Amino acid sequence: MNRYSIAFATLFGLSCTLAASSHAQEVTKQDQWSPPREAKISPITQEQLNAADKSATNFLLTNGNYAQTRFHPAKQINRDNVKNLHVAWIFQTEVKESLETSPIVIDGVMYVTTSFSHVYAIDAKTGEQLWHYSHKMGPVTTYCCGPNNRGVQVLGDKVYLATLDSKLVALNARTGDVVWTTDIADPELGYSETMAPTVVKDKVLIGTNGGEYGIRGFVRAYDAKSGKLVWNFDTIPENSVGVWATKDATGRDMHRDIQAEKDQLAKIGDPYKRLGGGVWQNPAVDLATNRIYFVVGNPSPDLDGTPRPGDNLYTDSLVALDLETGKFVCHLQYIAHDVWDLDAVSPPVLVDVKDKSGKTIPGVIHAGKTGHIYVHDRKDCSLIRFSEAMVPQENMWVLPTKEGARMLPGANGGVEWSPIATDPGQELAYAINLHQPMHYRVENSPYPNGKLWLGGAFTAIPGEKQSGNITAVNYNNGKIRWQVHTPEPMIGGILATAGGLVFAGEGNGKFAAYNSSTGKELWSFRAGAGVNAPPSSYSVGGKQYIVVGAGGNTQVNFRRGNNIIAFTLD
Amino acid sequence: MVSNLSRMISGGMMLGALLTAAPAFAQSIAEKVEVCAGCHGHDGKPSDKSIPVIWGQQAGYIYIQLRDFKRGDRKNEMMQPTVSPFERDDMLAIAEYFAQKPWPDLGQPRAPKHVAQQALSAEHSVGCTGCHLDRFQGSGTTPRLAGQSREYLAKTITDFRTRARGNNPGMTDLMLATPVDGLAALAQYLAGL
Repeated sequence: MNRYSIAFATLFGLSCTLAASSHAQEVTKQDQWSPPREAKISPITQEQLNAADKSATNFLLTNGNYAQTRFHPAKQINRDNVKNLHVAWIFQTEVKESLETSPIVIDGVMYVTTSFSHVYAIDAKTGEQLWHYSHKMGPVTTYCCGPNNRGVQVLGDKVYLATLDSKLVALNARTGDVVWTTDIADPELGYSETMAPTVVKDKVLIGTNGGEYGIRGFVRAYDAKSGKLVWNFDTIPENSVGVWATKDATGRDMHRDIQAEKDQLAKIGDPYKRLGGGVWQNPAVDLATNRIYFVVGNPSPDLDGTPRPGDNLYTDSLVALDLETGKFVCHLQYIAHDVWDLDAVSPPVLVDVKDKSGKTIPGVIHAGKTGHIYVHDRKDCSLIRFSEAMVPQENMWVLPTKEGARMLPGANGGVEWSPIATDPGQELAYAINLHQPMHYRVENSPYPNGKLWLGGAFTAIPGEKQSGNITAVNYNNGKIRWQVHTPEPMIGGILATAGGLVFAGEGNGKFAAYNSSTGKELWSFRAGAGVNAPPSSYSVGGKQYIVVGAGGNTQVNFRRGNNIIAFTLD
Repeated sequence: MVSNLSRMISGGMMLGALLTAAPAFAQSIAEKVEVCAGCHGHDGKPSDKSIPVIWGQQAGYIYIQLRDFKRGDRKNEMMQPTVSPFERDDMLAIAEYFAQKPWPDLGQPRAPKHVAQQALSAEHSVGCTGCHLDRFQGSGTTPRLAGQSREYLAKTITDFRTRARGNNPGMTDLMLATPVDGLAALAQYLAGL
């Protein structure tokens, strides 16, 4: 992830900031007339979660299902009628700040989160609030890229939430009351949580933020009933040196000075204790093999490689673990010894893919900040192919300098944390991208005890236009099928449906539906605030809905709001 | 300044004595932090423009600064002796106490449009709002900047750039990367919010 590579230079953003005067976390007037109500859902079983990809009624996991396809099987809303889509309801949260939530829906009850770790249960048909959990935040929060929260998951009768002050909280799904709370890590050392947990087979899986603060990253499993730690996997092994790779996963030279790094290693030893390696997004779960697949973020400090000789395993990597034990299975590192923060953050997706011989095998795909979609063999994490670049690439991999070296993509990507969607029937992956030309600057400073540790800065280049795109890539040949250009960089996520559509939002408030085969725009809506969250779909009373958060974004500084908007047909 | 300095030093010693003697005297936090008002103001308005507003500041930020003064990670000849006797719970309580106070209006004028645009251009290059949030109110361990003393902001930016303030090298990196001609505008703009 990247805290400072922000830089939008639009008049929209300028006027928004000039007009700003009051508190960042605005609290709107609460509706005193509606006391908390019960969310009348039946306990969610593991079998229901396993079959989430087949449910046109619910949207049970952050990315739709354990494979994280973000492909929803409902097709009532389709290419023919999407032009008639209209607002069913708008729910206003009490937090007007960056909104990255993925709404989940269970039996007509929707659970959404906001910045600062609030949770709301909402009637998914009417938009009425059922209950609201306001997390009592500790005084120390140390986080990157906004006080975001990306969602919750439900198993049994509990809702699971990870908070900005690095706690794991189980709530009663019907009432919002706290069942248990567990400390994950010390926020004073730079740990925080913004991702949604993934809950599977009585385990709550969670990673950590902190790659900008010199943490040692991890993925952990906690017992869903008690909150006790089941296993821990350090994303940075004690031997983080690796193989001294000189080329990235696509074969490009990264201009490493291997001898200088070896000399430094002899001098300071393995830097694993403060090497970063946050995990920002959900793991995909392969129920057949009992494995999880996730991606690991950047090394600390972001831009200065001096204090961290070696490949910095497993930063910037796809990693697979055994679900039951947390034992390492395989990995593939996209960029060794990254000094650009072009790390791996968008959640991986499990789909069947064609291998190099054309045989269909279980695969994993990941959309990188580099702008490539990487296609892996699920068996051993090996790379089968990578796609054409979805964004301009220039001057890769020039090393950062004190004066600033220009390189594309900028440090947000490509594809940031935004989840991709897939449509297996069309062999397509859909990704939203940023294009932000940047200068990469390096500075050297010692580990600052849990403080921001960038090792330099990423700066927007004045006068160079920024933009974004939505891209459909055939993951079986790596070719771009279609691309829609947008006036601003895109961050938030995307949804594909069996209705032949994809839905995605923009920072200027536009939320649109596109023909998933051609990219033709079929419908759009203006939300009044940045639509920078992944959409979901569900059905209640025989009607399909599309829902998305419109609350803007801290990282790219898009206009803030506090709306959850549901759309449907007459 | 001399009188401020002597007040702070004697105040710091007194506060330290008060906190270490807390069980015996069972003083309230309000009584314990009374000495802070000597410099940071009885009404939240500092006695000198180079001293920061701490009323209404983010509790996490105040706590981390107190901690860093005690550790010696942040240097200040007045604050270091003041905080040296503090334990973590003291610092958290003091931070919370000041965070609950209303932010004072220093009466600093809003920056003219051309200054605001210059400031925002500088801000956009490094993305200050990524941490300080879009209205510069801060959150957690990130401080509020809106309405802070212009002179203190300008001095802090300079101190980060020269590494005179060494307890946040990330801020040093960012301030070094910010266009120099926008720094004064940034301080003026933020002060006027």
